[in-house]
Amino acid sequence: MKKFKIQFYAIIFAFSFLFCLQAAQAAELKLNAPASKIEAGQQAQVDLFLNSEAESINAIEGKITFPAELLKLKEIRDGNTIVNFWLEKPKNDSSGSIVFSGITPGGFKGENGLIFSAIFETIKSGVAALRISEVRALLNDGQGSAAALDISPLQIVISEATSSQKPVAIEVGDTLPPESFKPEIAQDQNVFNGKYFLAFATQDKGLGMARYEVRESRQKIFSFLYGWKEASIPYLLADQKLKSYIFVKAVDLNGNERIEVILPRHPLLWHENYLIYVIIILSLIIFLILWKISRGKNRAKIY
Amino acid sequence: MRKKYLIIGFFSLVIFLVAGFFIFLKKAAANSDAVTFTVKISVCGNDEKEYGEDCDNDDFGGITCQGLGYSSGTLTCTAACEYDTSGCVSVSSCGNGSCAGSETCSSCPADCGACPSGGGGGGGYVAPAPVTSVIFSGRAYPKSAVTLLKDAQIAATTVAGADANFSITLSGLSGGNYIFSVYSEDNKGNRSSLLTFPVSVTAGVTTNVSGIFITPTIAIDKSEVKRGDNIAIFGQSAPQADMVISVNSEEEFFGKTISDKDGIYLYNFDTSILDYGTHNTKSKASIGNQLVSGWSYLVGFKVGAKSVAIEPEKKVLKGDLNSDGRVNLIDFSIAAYWYKRPNPPVAVDLNNDKKVDLIDFSIMAYYWTG
Repeated sequence: MKKFKIQFYAIIFAFSFLFCLQAAQAAELKLNAPASKIEAGQQAQVDLFLNSEAESINAIEGKITFPAELLKLKEIRDGNTIVNFWLEKPKNDSSGSIVFSGITPGGFKGENGLIFSAIFETIKSGVAALRISEVRALLNDGQGSAAALDISPLQIVISEATSSQKPVAIEVGDTLPPESFKPEIAQDQNVFNGKYFLAFATQDKGLGMARYEVRESRQKIFSFLYGWKEASIPYLLADQKLKSYIFVKAVDLNGNERIEVILPRHPLLWHENYLIYVIIILSLIIFLILWKISRGKNRAKIY
Repeated sequence: MRKKYLIIGFFSLVIFLVAGFFIFLKKAAANSDAVTFTVKISVCGNDEKEYGEDCDNDDFGGITCQGLGYSSGTLTCTAACEYDTSGCVSVSSCGNGSCAGSETCSSCPADCGACPSGGGGGGGYVAPAPVTSVIFSGRAYPKSAVTLLKDAQIAATTVAGADANFSITLSGLSGGNYIFSVYSEDNKGNRSSLLTFPVSVTAGVTTNVSGIFITPTIAIDKSEVKRGDNIAIFGQSAPQADMVISVNSEEEFFGKTISDKDGIYLYNFDTSILDYGTHNTKSKASIGNQLVSGWSYLVGFKVGAKSVAIEPEKKVLKGDLNSDGRVNLIDFSIAAYWYKRPNPPVAVDLNNDKKVDLIDFSIMAYYWTG
């Protein structure tokens, strides 16, 4: 019996040892905070990093959970992220979790690749455990094979507030607009029943992207009369005749904007453009006014 | 008691032997599969002369005007970290009458003649605004099209020289982290796999990314080959490169050949050593054991009872959902429309598992062209 016990422990030890060896080669997804101890009522930045080790990883998804009674999520920043396209942009779902999913074409191979940063406000004292779950990282191998992944959670110790100081916001100077980009019109039988849609994406090298907005207008000058609509891809175009100017606005988290314009593929013919009629009518009115004025002056001269 | 220690000792020995064996396996696998290519990234403006730079501010690496063949003068460094020899003085002889040394029209009009007259007064010097740019250089294939992606979207294209060297300068960038990728297209329209590197760009400085060696293209002449027949594995790389061709089955077989002056390589693989079934092949290139490319795309073929030639027009790039010859944001948008939706079309479901999830996007990301 004793012999069996020794053998059992030895086997457990062997497997643990081999598992550790294997783990040393795996990619790592880790949560990192510049300060692990913070007072209640202050802001804390938590970064999610990917260390790919020897692998090249091109797709990642997961969920970060945090105690909503201790931490309030203020903002998620994806500036300088290694993720080029989000499938699910990380966002606050108000239940104490952040779900994310995205890809990096060609794969990421390196250390401390930032996925996103979450800015929290600490509510009260306690130990806030942030966990990563439902995570999957896929290799850039053309088959979507799963990469071995180590996960490093994070604990933040929140102490009682010692002063009545207002929360200090974690500021990053961001005056630059998002990167320039090229929206494209496309059509495919498998999307929106073959109707035209819009594809667009860009990055912000400051705080990160906030949203995209789209405006369609057949009149360029009077386009301001048409409102912006918040958009995501694929975006179904309202003007399926493609006679409109399409404005795509990328807005970053600091409110900096970049607007790109797609010219109409089938511009309005001159007689379809009501601007022409407005100009003609205005010209006629001005002509009549001038004619009346000059006629009045001539009459005054005669008398 | 002694027996107990003996058993513990025995098991410890077994553990370390097994662990050692696994380490050996890992290393062996790493040696056969690891791709060791070096991309050197240097930062222009950090006061340190690095690979690919002539100079960096005051660091000239010991080079002076005299070292560049001038007689005297002061060597300066441009914003792009290249020599500015405008302050260097050549050994001038002008008419060789007199005034020896660094004579010019102003210092020795007797021998060099009068300086041309005219010209107005100069304005004040306006220093150019610092440029944030990245210079990419390396090797592709002779006269091949090279495409540079910035954050997965096409940023620039160029054509490599006859020696396969290329250089692309990308400016107008913001300071920040970028994912840059390059690929090339060979003379048959086949594309290389994406070579990707994250680069941290500093505002106001020029970053050099040199030593890029684009992966070879690869193609085969048969989709199915009769066991014992040869299958031709071919593609393009840099001229006179040492090519390693891997045929990966349960056991991995390697073949070697050298690309010709146009960078084209061909390897006839004898399939008699392969079992019936599906196999994959890939290739990589090296030049003088210093420049080593990554592996090419993986190409699959079947060993069976008959040979079936590949029809060129049937080449379809995986992930190209709208069949426009590219895998880009439009294809991503189409797949994004079906993400987690029921009953996706077969064309969108890249791994045929009846759903569009992260795996389909990973496959698309591998074949990405921008």
